[in-house]
This record gives sequence, structure tokens and C-alpha cells, in this order.
Amino acid sequence: MAKKKDENLNLEEQKLEQEVSDVQPVQEEQPQAVLDEQANVTEEISPETVAESSDVQAPVLNDANKQADGKTKAKQFFKKLGHVCKIVGGWIVRMIWGASKIAANDFIKAEKKFEEAQKAAEEEKALEEQQALADAETPQEDGKKNKKRKKAKLTDVEEIVSPGKQYVKAFFEKKLAVTALVIVIAMFLFVFIGPLCMPTYTDLYKASSQAYLPPTVSMLSLPKELDGHIKSISSSSFFTVGLSDTGNIYIWGVTKIGTTKIDIEKSIPQAVKDAKIEYVAAGTDHIVAIGDDGTVYAWGHKELGQYIENETDIANQETNHNIIMMPEDLRMGGKIDVANVKKLVCGNQITAILMKDGTVRVWGNTNTYRNASKFANKGDKFYDIDVTRTSMYGVTYDQKLLVNYEANAIKLKYKMNDVASADQDLVLTNSTILSLACANSNLAILVQEASGKNRVLFSGDFGEGLTDIPALGLTRYFTQISAGAEHYLGVSNDGYVYAWGDNIHGQLKISEKGDGKVSTVYAEAYQSYAVSSDNKLVEKSGLKGYIFGTDANGASVFKRLVNGGRMTLTIGAVAVIISSIIGIIIGVISGYFGGKVDMFLMRVTEVVGAIPFLPFAMILSAIMSKLPIGEDMRIFIIMVILGVLSWTGLARLVRGQVLATRECEYITAAKAMGVSELRIAFKHILPNVISVIIVTLTLDFAGCMLTESGLSYLGFGVTFPRPTWGNMLNATRNLTIIGNYWWLWLFPSIFLAITTICINIIGDALRDVMDPRTNKR
Amino acid sequence: MLKYILKRLVYMVLVWVILSFLMFMIYWSVPTGNREFQEAKMEVESNDAYRRLPAQEKRALIEELTLEKQYANGTETNNLFVRYLRWLGFYPYHDGQPRGMLQGNFGYSQIYKKDVMEVVKAPMGNTVFINIFATLLALGITIPLGIATAVHRGSRGDKTMQVLTIIGYSLPTFIIAILFIWIFCWNAKWFPASGFGTPGNDFTGLKAFGDKMYYLALPLIVMTFCSLGGMTRYVRASMIEALGMDCIRTARAKGLKERTVIYSHAWRNALIPVITLVVGWFLGIFSGSVMIEQIFGLNGMGNLLITALNAFDFEVVLFLQMFYVTLSLLGNLIIDLAYGLADPRVRVNK
Repeated sequence: MAKKKDENLNLEEQKLEQEVSDVQPVQEEQPQAVLDEQANVTEEISPETVAESSDVQAPVLNDANKQADGKTKAKQFFKKLGHVCKIVGGWIVRMIWGASKIAANDFIKAEKKFEEAQKAAEEEKALEEQQALADAETPQEDGKKNKKRKKAKLTDVEEIVSPGKQYVKAFFEKKLAVTALVIVIAMFLFVFIGPLCMPTYTDLYKASSQAYLPPTVSMLSLPKELDGHIKSISSSSFFTVGLSDTGNIYIWGVTKIGTTKIDIEKSIPQAVKDAKIEYVAAGTDHIVAIGDDGTVYAWGHKELGQYIENETDIANQETNHNIIMMPEDLRMGGKIDVANVKKLVCGNQITAILMKDGTVRVWGNTNTYRNASKFANKGDKFYDIDVTRTSMYGVTYDQKLLVNYEANAIKLKYKMNDVASADQDLVLTNSTILSLACANSNLAILVQEASGKNRVLFSGDFGEGLTDIPALGLTRYFTQISAGAEHYLGVSNDGYVYAWGDNIHGQLKISEKGDGKVSTVYAEAYQSYAVSSDNKLVEKSGLKGYIFGTDANGASVFKRLVNGGRMTLTIGAVAVIISSIIGIIIGVISGYFGGKVDMFLMRVTEVVGAIPFLPFAMILSAIMSKLPIGEDMRIFIIMVILGVLSWTGLARLVRGQVLATRECEYITAAKAMGVSELRIAFKHILPNVISVIIVTLTLDFAGCMLTESGLSYLGFGVTFPRPTWGNMLNATRNLTIIGNYWWLWLFPSIFLAITTICINIIGDALRDVMDPRTNKR
Repeated sequence: MLKYILKRLVYMVLVWVILSFLMFMIYWSVPTGNREFQEAKMEVESNDAYRRLPAQEKRALIEELTLEKQYANGTETNNLFVRYLRWLGFYPYHDGQPRGMLQGNFGYSQIYKKDVMEVVKAPMGNTVFINIFATLLALGITIPLGIATAVHRGSRGDKTMQVLTIIGYSLPTFIIAILFIWIFCWNAKWFPASGFGTPGNDFTGLKAFGDKMYYLALPLIVMTFCSLGGMTRYVRASMIEALGMDCIRTARAKGLKERTVIYSHAWRNALIPVITLVVGWFLGIFSGSVMIEQIFGLNGMGNLLITALNAFDFEVVLFLQMFYVTLSLLGNLIIDLAYGLADPRVRVNK
């Protein structure tokens, strides 16, 4: 606000002085302007009058056939629009190219035509003369003379450089300004073309396991030492743990967990490094491993019952009734019969070990997995188990039944005839379940039919935009399936990978690859790995990481930044266009007509200028949130508010300039020729003020962007889920977020700052270039 | 001069009336639900004596109570113009007494359950306190800096300052604030990130002041930093203007010391626009500190405005808005007058 005021004051002051001292520069430009206008006037009169007369005639014609009425009206409108565009385009071309150049071009064209005509005449003459057998020397001499004359004229014309061209030349001599211009153009391209490259982006994207991740690209980088020795890969959030066939553990991805700063890689217990590990699995914030001697190791977070390391953990966890405590024989380095272990599964703060005899050992947080205790306590025997994000599933020991124990379990909607009713536990009569794979909110089971062929069954909310399971044909079938967070992988019996589900991070790029070498696939969180029978990595794809980190919803800051930038720049541009249209019209009318009109308009300007900007915009925006209007409409109204509140400075400036310009002689000339007042104001005076307008527009653009960002930052502009550079910073209100999640505010700030700084530098350079007063000094 | 001031004042009142009418209309055109009815209903429901009454009697009672409340608030009519006049204090309430702004009644806050004036008192004090400090600090830095860059125009230092100041005024306040919080509160741990004093302290005298200043240090630094860019550029521009004057050439030709020329001759001429800037800037800072107060959790006018807006406490918002408008109008008048006073060549009453 204070800055805004400064600008206004600055402009006012300039205006005051310009009224006193600026007569001279205007005079300097005058011959140019006169040239302009003369060309203008002569150009205009004929086509204009013709157009007007056709306007008059048109309605008469329209009365005759009313059907074509709308069409002709539209035609007329577009004709007028085209005319206006032509005029405006004419100004800009004239500003950059220069009126003299245009006149010269016209002259050259006319000359050429004349020359051609002459040549034709000469040829005819020559023919005649040939026929008459007269000497051919005289016409040649004529031609030479002609060329000389033309050259002389051309050089004459080119010596005059238009002010526009001068401005452009002077502007490009400023290295800083040119750099800024390049950056701004790059930013525009980045922000307007960028979203086109992310067709999968949605404002509402949520992935709770990916919240607050720092910038990284290491989530897919499987260590080289592990390649060739892969025994298993496991991940359920942002870090991945790999087990080699030599019993070593490798961890990659984001290894620092949340604000506690526990580094899951650095905190691997020494005992684990020394031991030969048989099984390992990763939860969202803990890792559990079983050594070859049966020792159960665990590290990572432990506050919510993930594991028990010492006596204080027991004391802490006993008070929380939602925790199933780690079994006594396993806690604090306890041992398990490793030969009897079939599968180790870790989920969101939960761990489950499936034994070969069908029993399940479960511990962890029942707030997230309410049915977990039933798997341990009911005494049922299981063939396979797996966990989604919120629930646990098991396959009974006879491989016929899918068990969940919950009323709101994933509803089973199979397109299969021999499957039981939709919301019951699945019972298979003719076939058996081979394995179970659970994603975040859906699951797949691999079923062996009586014929001996496998097929995949599928269940859960499989939303739109997700790829369907590929058809393998008659002879091929899946031998193994695996589930990530939102996608599935399957290996066909001839060694190819197939992938289906969500492709937002490119997890499915691995599909139909593998060259027949793949024996095992690991779909882990948002990554896909395909491993051959000799434990080598064949293919991998999926989420590499987030170069600018993620926000509270797990959405990529980079993607939101690109899409938000489009919003910020659009709002800034539209607001500036609105404000400049109002400002120019009011400024020109008020300056040109003077007297009572000026008095009235200036009072209006003062009233609008007296409205304190930020509070008023906040109030209007708050009121709008109470009205029943859509988000798009709201954003549009914000643009209008910004535009309508910020035109006063420009109007004053334009008025001052017009006041100075209207006393020029060519205006008197135009008046004497009987050109209408409005046309003089907008066609003869305005083009001479346009340099000032361009400078103000540039500076105002940055101003509007900043105001929008400020409003959005305070929560009164564009609101979540729609991103802008301002409201992306909205989340960073308290110290812990600013400190711990620096990437949340740093990148939007950098983008916003660079854009506004560059626009301001351009505006400043333009002012230096265009303002004759600064040139003099 | 007096005539001019009077004319301006009359005009100011006119603009104020137009703006206040606009604001009032915007406010009350928003659907808010019948507040009095809700309150009356709550009152009846919570009173044991009334709760057991039959439904019809209860409804009658509620309606009666609603009307009573509406009479007290002056909202029994839907005529917005009448309500506006009542708000100003030109039109009597139901009991025949006008109780508007002219009578010193600035409204009643529904959230704080207090008169608006009482609600506003403490935040206003804080805001004025912060702003005076920030203004003094900023002036102390920008004026010497502006003069130095103007005198050494075109030098390497000046060019760097030009770029730095562009960066300074292109950065929005909240980015600078977040950056400073990160540097000074999170990494260096020099200052507290929010608040207006150590919680639960019972310091007195100098110690209380010191504690307050410790908490206000970072907001003040941020505010000063934010204004450096614009102010320095402004001072520099006006100083360059002054240095280009003929009288400076004459002074130099006389053989005066460069120091005298700059500080005594040029600076006095440059001071004219700077004075007006300072006045305008000081007034403008009131609404500008909305952001700072919000970020640092200071109990100031800006924070009050945001709280009131979020809670739709209309009368507080309306009062604050009119306060800002008045301030801005007064600011314009003061700037014009100061211009005339500082520069004898400008005749304000022409």
C-alpha cells in the first residue's frame, strides 16, 4: 500500500513538472507527429467515409430479409472490431516502424509500379524501335538515371529514425533490461505451456503418504550394489527398502521422516548391518526386518506402537488403548521361528507376520487398521495377507475366501460368474486364490481356475482416468501380481511386465516391457520395478521424486507452481487491461475536454483514489464469499476489483500528458479540417501519449500481481484448492512450517519475486528510454 | 489559504459521505440471516421459565423479543436509506432518540460483545506505536542513502543500489517477512516469531518496554526493510532533480564547498517532495501494516480487520473501513497543504 502511494506521488509530481517543463520535448516530437497525422488524415478519410456510408445503408437492406439480420449484424460487429484492431495495430506499427518509413514504403511501391509501367512502355518502345531499326542507346541511359534517382531517395528516407525505433534500439542496449525481458518471456512460456505438458494434474490431488516431502529425485534410484542381488523390494510411502540375497539392507528415497528428523537410513541399527537379513518390509514410517537367526529388528518411528525397543516404550504404549503392543516374545530383540515365516507385511503404523502354519502375528496402531486385532485373535488360518491404507485383508488357508471382518470393506464387484454376492466375503467355488495384492483403496487377487490358468480379479473403487487391466490373450496368463499405492503390476508367464491403474507419476510406463526376462515385479508406492530370475533389475519406472517437494496434501509443489503461475499472471494481466482501459478513457476525455467534464471526472478519480486499497479489496472479497457464486466467477470479480481500484494513477498521468499535447499545432490543424472531437482525442492525441501508458502498464502489471498475491496470501483472493503463487504461501503461517518445510515457501517466493523484479526492471528501463527528460541528463 | 482549506474540507466531507453510503449499501446488501431472531430464540430457549410454554406462546414471545431487539439496533425497517441515516445519526431510532456516529455511537461488536470504540482502542495504540517507530527507522536510513546515491550518480555503488532497490520494492511484504522469520527466528533464533510480549509476564517500567521492543524488533525490521526500496529511489530522484538546478551550478561556481552545496543548497530543494512523501507514507502505512500484523500475530488494526472480516463482524469492519477512508482523505489534504507550505512557488489556493 505504501509503495502504491509512492508510485502515485511520483507520478503526480512528474505530471506537475511536465506541465511546466515538458513543452520542449513535445515540440521535439512534433514534426514526427505532424507527419504522422498528415499521413493519417489522408489515409483515413476515404475508407472511413465509405465504411460509414455502408453502415447507413446496411439497416435498409436488413429490413428486407430479417433472417440474415443477425448474421449481418455479427458481420458488421466483426468488421468494426477488425477496424479498431487495424487502427490500434497501426499505432503500434507506426511507433516501432515509424510513420516516415511507412510513407517511404508506400512511395517505393508507387515508384515500382511507375517503373514497371515505364519498363513496359520502354519495351514496347524498344519493340517499335527494333521494328524501326533505330539505335537502342537512349532508353538505356534513361534507365540508369532512373535508378540513381531511386537510390538517392531511399537513403534520404532511411536517415529519419522513428522515435519508436529509437526506443527499441535504446532498450536493447540495456543489458539488464534485455535479460529481464528474456526471463519474463521465459516465465510466461513456462507458465502457459507448462500446464499443457501435465495433463494428469488436478487441483484436488491428494496423497496423504507423500505430504511434506523435501525436494528429491532419488525415489527411483535403486543402489548399484543391490542390482544383481535383489531379493525383495518394499515401500509404502516415500522411502524404499531393498534386501539383497547376501542379506544386506539398502534404503533409498526420502529417508528423513517428517519433523522428528529421524533418518531411517542413518538409524539402521548396527545389529542389522551385522546380521544376515531374511525378511524386510517398510511401513510408512518404520521398517521391520527378520534376521536369519529369527531376531526381529525394527527402527523408525515408534510412538504409535510400530515397535518396542525398551522399557519406556512399553510404559508409553500401555497408556494408549488404540495400540496392539508388539508380542512379548518379539519385542526388544526377541526371536521368531524364521523357517516358519511366510510373509512380512508393514502398513501405515502396523506390522503383520504371516506364518507358514497360517497364524498371523499383528501389532501396531488400530486407529488406522481397526480390523487388525481380529486377524490375530479370531484364530483363523490364512494363506496370504496384505494391507491397504486403512484396512487389512487375508485369504483363508483353503484359498477360497477373502476375509476382512469389516462391514465397510472394499466391496467386491467382480465381472465374474462364479463369484458370490457383491458385499459378502468372496468365496470361490471352482478356483483357488493364489495371492492377494492391496493398493491404497482397492485390491486385486490372482486366482487359479480349474483349467490351470490364472486370472486377476479386481475390486474396490477404481476411479475414472485409470488404465484398465490389459488383456493377455488366450495362451498367456499372470504368474505374479503386486500392488503399489495406486497401481498394479503383473508378470505374464512368458516374462513380460504388465501394468494397470493410476499413471499420474508414470508408474505404468513399464508396461509390456521386460523382453521375456522378468520373473518378479515389485509395485511399491508410486514406483515399479521388474526383476529377472537372476536377481537383476530389468526395468523400472514411476515417481522419481519431487524437484520442489510436496505440500500438506502430498501434491507436487512444482506442478502447483506452474499451474498457479498461470492464474497469477492471468489475474495480473486482466486487471491491468481493465484498469488501463478505464484509466485511458477517463484520462483522455478529462484532459481533452477540460472544464466541467474534467472537473467531474477528476472528482470521481479522487473518490476512487481515496478508497484504501487493500482493506477495501479484502472486504469486497469477503462479502463475495457469502454470495452464491462459482469459483470462476469469484476469480473474475477479483480481477475486476483489482482493475477498478487501480486506474486512478494512470488516468491522472494520461490527463496531464493530454493537457500538454492538445495545445500542439497539428491538433489545431485537425480541428480546422473538421475532424470530430472524440476522434481527435482518441486518434490524434492518444498515440502520442502511448509511450507513457506502456511504461505505466508494465509497472502496474507487477503491482497487480503483487496485490493479488497479497490478497490470496491473506486468504481473501483465490482460495484453495486452486493454486496461485500467493495462496501457495498461505499455508506457511507458523514458525514450524516456515522452518521445517522451507521448500513450501521458498520456490513460490522465488518465482513471484523474479517475475515482479524483472517486470519492474523492464518498466524502469522503458521509462528511462521513453522519458525525454531522463535522456537529457 | 483558509478559504482553500475550508473548501477542501467541505469537499472531503462530500467524498466521505459518498464513500460511506457506498460501503454501507455494500455491507447490508449481503444476506446474513436474521440475527435478532436467532438471538431472541436463543434467549427464550435458554430460559427455564419460558421453555415450558406452549409453542404458540413461545413463538409470540420470540417475535416480541426480536422486535424489541430490532428497535434497539434500529433494524426494524428494511429501508436501507433510513438505516444509513440512523448509522450516521441523522434519523431517530424507534424511541425517538438518534444514536448514530454523530452521537458518538460507532456500533457494537457482535463478536467481542463490546462497543466498537472499546474494541478498537488497544489495537489502534499498537498500530500507531509500530508505525511511528518504523517510519523513523526508515527515514533514518533512506535519506542518507538516497542522498549518497544521488551525489555519486552513475557510480558502481549507485548502480548496485538501483538494482537492489528495484528488488526491494518488487518483493511483497509477506515474502520478506517469511524470509526474515526463517533467518532470524528459525536459524539464528534471535527473535521470537510472534506475539506482543513474553506470555504471562508482569514486568513494569523500562523492563516492560524492553520486552515489548524485543518482540517488536523483527516486525519493525521487516517494515523498515520493505520501505527502503521505494523511499530510497524517491529521495534519490528528488535529490537528482535538485542537483540539476541552476542555483546549484551557481553555488558551485561561487566556489562553495561541495558539502555545503549538497547539504545546504540541494538538499533543501529536494526536501520538498520528500516531506509530502513522508506524510503520505506515514498515513498509507496504516493499511499497509495489515500484512505484517497478520504474519507476526500482533494485535493491531490490520489483524482486527481480518478477524472481524472472517467472523463477519460487520459493524467493526464498517468502522475500520471508514477509519481508513478518513485517514486517506486527511492524508491527501495534508499532502496538498504540505506541498504549499514547503514550496512557496506552489500556490494551493489558486
